[in-house]
Amino acid sequence: MIKVRVKPETITVSGHAFYDKEGKDIVCSSVSSIVTTTVNGILSLDKKAIKYSVKKGLVKINIISKDETTKKLLENMIDLFKSLEKDYPKNIKVERE
Amino acid sequence: MNLMKLDIQLFAHVKAQGSTQNGRDSAGRRLGAKLADGQTAKAGNIIYRQRGTRIYPGKNVGIGKDHTLFALIDGVVKYERMGKDKKKVSVYEA
Repeated sequence: MIKVRVKPETITVSGHAFYDKEGKDIVCSSVSSIVTTTVNGILSLDKKAIKYSVKKGLVKINIISKDETTKKLLENMIDLFKSLEKDYPKNIKVERE
Repeated sequence: MNLMKLDIQLFAHVKAQGSTQNGRDSAGRRLGAKLADGQTAKAGNIIYRQRGTRIYPGKNVGIGKDHTLFALIDGVVKYERMGKDKKKVSVYEA
């Protein structure tokens, strides 16, 4: 199960969806796409707005700038994860701390 | 900070290659007949390798501790029936 932990300063997406095997896991690919689109979107607007680290099964985003655009893009990402969670409760879980 | 590379399998579970505990076997023991019916045998020649007595020793044939059958004299090998459902091997002088 993919866990999305939302904290004021960081957002961590970790785990494996286990929806299907590699190459067919649509939950995994949508989570990967959402994260990548959001991170690249923010960085293309402001290179210093966030810092991120990524490895297999883990993406950690450190929120540096509190500007409105970064906030909106991150909130949009979290909303997308929540809608995924409704459809695939066994494969993704969003926790806000 | 560089842009993130898109890997749509980033959160996919990579199943470990199936590993099996099987896949071992011992080498074949090359059992069975070493001399066929009608062949000539010299004293001491091995006639039949076996596990247990699939074939019993007949005339002029000895049996080793591993149930190997061997000729006791020079002669011709003969496979014969023994009782209802058993076999034996004998060596008769040529």
